[in-house]
Amino acid sequence: MTNHQTGRRRFLAGLGAAGTAALLSGCVTSTSSGKSSSKGAVTLQSNVSAPQAKAAMQDLVAAYGKKGSARASLNTVAAETFRTQLPTYLTSANPPDVYTWYPGSVADAYAKKDLLLDLGEVWSSSPDLKSYSKALNSLCTATSGKKVFVPATYYWWGMFYRKSNFAKWGVSEPKSWDDFLDLCDKLKSKGVDPIGLGAGGNTAWVASAWFDYLDIRINGAEYHRELLAGKHRFDDPEVRKVFDRWQEVLPYFDPNGDAVPFQDATTALLNGRTGMMLIGTFFADAAPKDALDDIDFFRFPVIDPKIPLAEEAPVDGYFASARTGRRDQVVDLMSYLATAESQEIYIKGSSGTVLPCNPKAKDAGTALVKKGRAHVEEAAEITQFFNRDSSDALQPTADTALTRFLAKPKEIGSILTGWQRDAEKIWNA
Amino acid sequence: MSATSTALRRKRAATAGFHLGAGALALLWLLPIALVLVTSLRSFDDIAANGLGSWPQSFTLDNFGQAWNDGGQQRALINSLLVTVPCVLVTLALAAMAAFSLSRYEMPFRRSLLLLMLGGNLLPPQILLIPVSKLSEQMGVFDTLPALIGVQIGFGVGFYVFVLHGFMRGIPAEIQQAAVVDGAGPWQIFWRIILPLTRPALAALSALSFTWIFNDLLWAITVLRSDTKMPITAALIGLQGQYVSMWNVIAAGSVIAAAPTVIVFLRFQRHFVAGLNLGAVK
Repeated sequence: MTNHQTGRRRFLAGLGAAGTAALLSGCVTSTSSGKSSSKGAVTLQSNVSAPQAKAAMQDLVAAYGKKGSARASLNTVAAETFRTQLPTYLTSANPPDVYTWYPGSVADAYAKKDLLLDLGEVWSSSPDLKSYSKALNSLCTATSGKKVFVPATYYWWGMFYRKSNFAKWGVSEPKSWDDFLDLCDKLKSKGVDPIGLGAGGNTAWVASAWFDYLDIRINGAEYHRELLAGKHRFDDPEVRKVFDRWQEVLPYFDPNGDAVPFQDATTALLNGRTGMMLIGTFFADAAPKDALDDIDFFRFPVIDPKIPLAEEAPVDGYFASARTGRRDQVVDLMSYLATAESQEIYIKGSSGTVLPCNPKAKDAGTALVKKGRAHVEEAAEITQFFNRDSSDALQPTADTALTRFLAKPKEIGSILTGWQRDAEKIWNA
Repeated sequence: MSATSTALRRKRAATAGFHLGAGALALLWLLPIALVLVTSLRSFDDIAANGLGSWPQSFTLDNFGQAWNDGGQQRALINSLLVTVPCVLVTLALAAMAAFSLSRYEMPFRRSLLLLMLGGNLLPPQILLIPVSKLSEQMGVFDTLPALIGVQIGFGVGFYVFVLHGFMRGIPAEIQQAAVVDGAGPWQIFWRIILPLTRPALAALSALSFTWIFNDLLWAITVLRSDTKMPITAALIGLQGQYVSMWNVIAAGSVIAAAPTVIVFLRFQRHFVAGLNLGAVK
């Protein structure tokens, strides 16, 4: 038995020694990695994970490396993972330097927590950013007055349809709300579900586009932004008016609208099972290549001509972590991302349905994109989208409320009360 | 006479009913897998034009190439194996040693130790995500594969000790006593007597732990950040786009990601069933 004891003790002692050595070596590596962060390539954390768009980002980073001033290393993370992990990235001790994300209130929320790098130097030194529109300028400014964002591209929302299908049904684009209702009637009489939605599956947020548009058409963009910021209530009569309008068109919605995700709704639209769909241009990625030339869109019909014309045109771009150890390199990369050259490289490599923020940059040049550019430029006010104008936390409250509304439109009173209650929890958090 | 024939008929009907029912159930089980396989062989334009549920109108093997090269599955598969193989080996080695001492010797506090390990398994891992992430950052191993290996070992070892302890306890004490009489030390008893007798349990556990660690996504995205270090599960969700997902490529990627576990399963099929019993009886 004594034999056992010594054997075991010796073994445990050995284990302990090995463990201590491992811990010590761990400490050594930790200090060295902490210091090396100020040199080397700028890390660009990207949520652009779709294969084609990811390749476009790789082209962009390669082109930046060739310029010779510095290097960037691209790190692509699945969009969903990125969304949930972004707060963790920003608060970590050794964060990535530059991130793809949204300007406006989303970036402002992080800026308020002092997590974003002040990019005032980029905005004051870059000749490109000086030529950016005023709207973009204010969109990238935090409440503190600091510039925290560099915009790169934007896309637009509209009523998309298939040209050949509209020709087959003998209908044309409506201008006013009454025209729009007529169009829906005509399509319905031909056995087509006039309006596709695609708010099922994990894309319930698509329904928020209808809320956004009806609100900016009826109450205006200013009211809409204030509502999302918590300065009005969701159970106010103004919001009730939005849903009264919605109920006028609700019978024309595809009955499967809240059951299928938007990608399946796109297929239904292309096959002519539904007539049109309020969606962003990203949906074109879900269309087969031969259908792309057949896609067209019209403006969400104007309801009250006295309200300044507003459109949804969400901007994508970049911000940087306040804790970066490579400030100078970040400034250099940001200036490059604002150039026409960089935005053209991305648009060329991706599916080309986005528009560049740089006024001198060329777009993809297709008829659809040209029409889209004019469409956005005619608008007096630009909104981003429900989650981008509020926060990712408020979006689920909208999803719940709108899904309930689509299923039981008669209960709108209690739905709005519930929405206000849920939203208050988030505004007050 | 007629009684026996009705009995026979009834028996036949029961057999037929059983086979029909079981066959239908099996088909129901295989349907999603078949759908993934079919989808992985269709072109994107076909799916976009006709929908995911339509009858396939195209055939292509390009999706696999796209998932393998553009989707970065090659790198991810290597990462997965780099994590999984050492994890399985180290966890089982540590667990076998711990279970040996806990089950074959009168260790002080062995009951509380075992209960602690069992209790650790009842803890939902989600509540430990942030501590693990912050701790790995402070230790300077954040975003490295060894960090993931360490986490996997740490969270796996308790359960394996518990199962192996139950198995080793069942080995008759006389065998060990005979070895002691012959002059074997504890190391020799462990290595030459107990471990060979534990082989069925080890095989079952290695098969189980391989699939668990290989299929894990949660810990990987908690301690890793670079796409070049992500395992196959993370690469698979990386194939989903921000808005639009190419289901054919994702299906092809899923087939690739499932291949290693299927191979392990086929190789250790017998032990898998034994492994499920191990957990149930003890």
